[in-house]
Order: sequence, then C-alpha cells, then structure tokens
Amino acid sequence: MKKFGIREKSSITFWINGARRTIEILPNTTLLTVLRYDLGLTGTKQGCGIGECGACTVLMDGEPVNACLVMAAKAEGKEILTIEGLGSRERLDPLQKAFVDHGAVQCGFCTPGMLVAAKALLDRTPKPSREEIKAALAGNLCRCTGYQQIIDAIEAVIKG
Amino acid sequence: MFPEFEYIIPSDLPEACNFLEDHGSETKIIAGGTDLVVSLRRGEMKPRFLLDISSLKELCQIEDAGDRVVVGAACTHTQIAESTLLKEYGGVLSEASGWVASRQIRNLGTIGGNIVNASPAADTVPALMVLNGQLKIVTKGNHRQVPLPEIYVGSYQTNIKPWELVSHIIIDKIPEGAKHHFFRVARRKAMAIARINGAVILWRKKDNGPIEEIRISVGSVTPIPCRVTEAENLLIGTIPSEELIEKACRMVGRRMMDLSGVRKSTEYKQPVVGALVRRAIEHLLTKG
Repeated sequence: MKKFGIREKSSITFWINGARRTIEILPNTTLLTVLRYDLGLTGTKQGCGIGECGACTVLMDGEPVNACLVMAAKAEGKEILTIEGLGSRERLDPLQKAFVDHGAVQCGFCTPGMLVAAKALLDRTPKPSREEIKAALAGNLCRCTGYQQIIDAIEAVIKG
Repeated sequence: MFPEFEYIIPSDLPEACNFLEDHGSETKIIAGGTDLVVSLRRGEMKPRFLLDISSLKELCQIEDAGDRVVVGAACTHTQIAESTLLKEYGGVLSEASGWVASRQIRNLGTIGGNIVNASPAADTVPALMVLNGQLKIVTKGNHRQVPLPEIYVGSYQTNIKPWELVSHIIIDKIPEGAKHHFFRVARRKAMAIARINGAVILWRKKDNGPIEEIRISVGSVTPIPCRVTEAENLLIGTIPSEELIEKACRMVGRRMMDLSGVRKSTEYKQPVVGALVRRAIEHLLTKG
C-alpha cells in the first residue's frame, strides 16, 4: 500500500517528455498543477478545470487525458507527453508545422491540447478519415478557428 | 481549491477491502476520477481518504466466463469500446462506452464509476440493463452478487455500503445473430450529457421470423434504470405490425411518466422516447 499523507510531501517518479523525474507532491494535487507549477511546463493550459474543454490534454502512456482530472499520484510510473515534448522551436513536429501553415492557430489557447490529441490519433490510426479526426478532437474546444483549419492541418500531415 | 485528504493506493483487492472495513465511512473510492475530481474541486465532498483502485490488475480485465463476460470495474470506457470479446458478446455495451464524453474522458472514466455514480444519464447503464448486468460487490472476506438495478435507490443514490466495493460487472453473452441498437439524444454528439438514451437488443430464430427475445431499456428520463418489460412481453413471439410496435412504444412513454411524473420536459420527452425506441426496433427488424 502506498500512502500520500495529508499536508505531507511524498515522492513520485515518472517520465516527462522522455526524461525520468522524481518530484515531491501533496496528495490533493492534480497532474496539471504539477506540470505547470512544479515543472514549469506552462504549455499545457488550464481551461475549464472539469474535463470539458481539453485545453489541459496531455498524453499518459500514449493516450490523451485531461490533466485537470488526473490526481498527481496517478502519474507514478507513467510516461507523460506534453506539448513541450512534441517538437522544439528549431524542429517543429510535422503537426505543429501544419498547424502554422494552415492558420490552425489563432489565440493559441487550445492549440497544445489539440496538437497532443492529434498526435495520439495519428499514433493509433495513421490514416484517419475526416470523421475520425473530428471524433478524436471532440473533447477539445476551440472558440476561434471554427475547427476547419485544424482538421485541414491534420489531413495535410496524413497526406505527407 | 481541493480539500485536504490522504491518498491511498492499495496493492491488491484484499488490501483495498481491509482499508474500507476500517475507514469506509471516511473514504471515497477513486477510479478514473472524471466525476469525483470535479466534485472534490467544487467542495461538494470532503473525504478524509481517497482510495485509488484504478491500478488493481484484477479490476482491469475483461474475461470470458462461459455464457457470461466478466468486466473488471476499473476497466476504462476506451477498453470496453475496443474489446473484441465485448464487441462479439455484448456489442451494445461497447457501443455505449464509445459514446461517453470524449476520448480523454473515456481513457480515464471507468465502467464501475459510471455505475456507482448513479447518474440517471449514465450511458453504460441502459446497455447493461439489456445484457442482464449483475454486480459483484466485495467486502473484507466476503462478496455478494446482485442484479444491477437493485443497487439504485434514486438519482445519484445507491445502497452500496461504505465498506463495500463494486469489483466486477457480469453480463449475459448475447447469442450469435442478436442485434443491438444504442441511441442517445444530447445537445451535441460528444461531451454533452444525454437527455435521453437507451438500448434495445433483439433476436429471432430465423430472419423475418417471430421475435424470440427483445429487451428494451431507456435512460436519463427515469430516476433509476428500468427495463420496459410490458413492451417487451407485448412483442415477444410476434412478427410485429407497425401498430403493435407503436403500442409497445407508447408503453415506454407511459413507464417514463410512472417513474418520473410530469416534469417541464415531459411534453417533449414522452413522444420522443417512444419514437426513439420505435426507430430502434424498426432498424433492428430490417437490418441484415
């Protein structure tokens, strides 16, 4: 049995963007808080805080999850991928490049979540249909683009 | 802000049961957390302990058990939606899990959580109702098995005791050639909570022959889950005419009225719930 005591810091070890990290967490902390405030990975956004908007989407063992709903203790032993691990300023991931090329970024708040959700889709289904793309992004809200440019960008990556 | 609590990760099921035996009344069980974490953040509950059962291997498997399928309570909706075993023997459940919220939520949310949260709009519940779902409920050194509807006492209320834990869901395999349909009406297809949902399965001895078995369950419109047995009984053994189907579907609307009374939405929901069931039956009778 593992116990995270009240007001006590307990350590968890997990992989963040390929690097193994051990950090101290309080039991009533979410993964999102750990990412943003303990690790300084502010690319992952806090939106609604109730799992509706998808701005906090990260990949946990390759699958998208809402980091605002994941208690930090659950990250033990897991591989977490955030937008910071997708590409770098010098070497954009093909998805990031396509988002730029297709005007799929306006205010940018939903973009990190959209990108990692799209990454997970292409990892499990390399050639999704337009309908499959829409379904995979159904948990990510965008209030600027109207979604078309985002879907176009992902389709462009599929076509290569 | 979150209340303060201790977070406990048991290493196996007996350890979880022991913990509940000692601290059940001060504990909330967490699996996916997709409902619980929201309630905690809103300050709607202040448990002293969270007991995380999501990594207990024995609760994360889907197993073939002869004429039944046994689903671990901590299986996620993604697991259920993609399980080849369930697609073959309980396709309506896979379909229902596939409709839950979004991929992100389906990767976290579990079937056990969907059941014990006792939301009238839970998508897996009508599917489990038509598969004669039973729950295995464990305590320290003991267990019991009950038909799913027996745990519900009202909207968001169950009679599961603080020291008990739902460990498995057991469904009847449906015979080869059985057809199913899951339907759902909500503000949008994804994410939105269902206003009306439901499941119908039926099978016949031969194509175009009389209905050998039909099971109808509607959700969201009644405080606790229900099977509309009077409508089922009317149709079993018949090659139903349009009129007979219509009559059965009026029974669905009436059952909703009996359980929920007249509400603001009744004028809309009563005809619509019947029409959805009628379409489901017609679709299943003509499909394949």
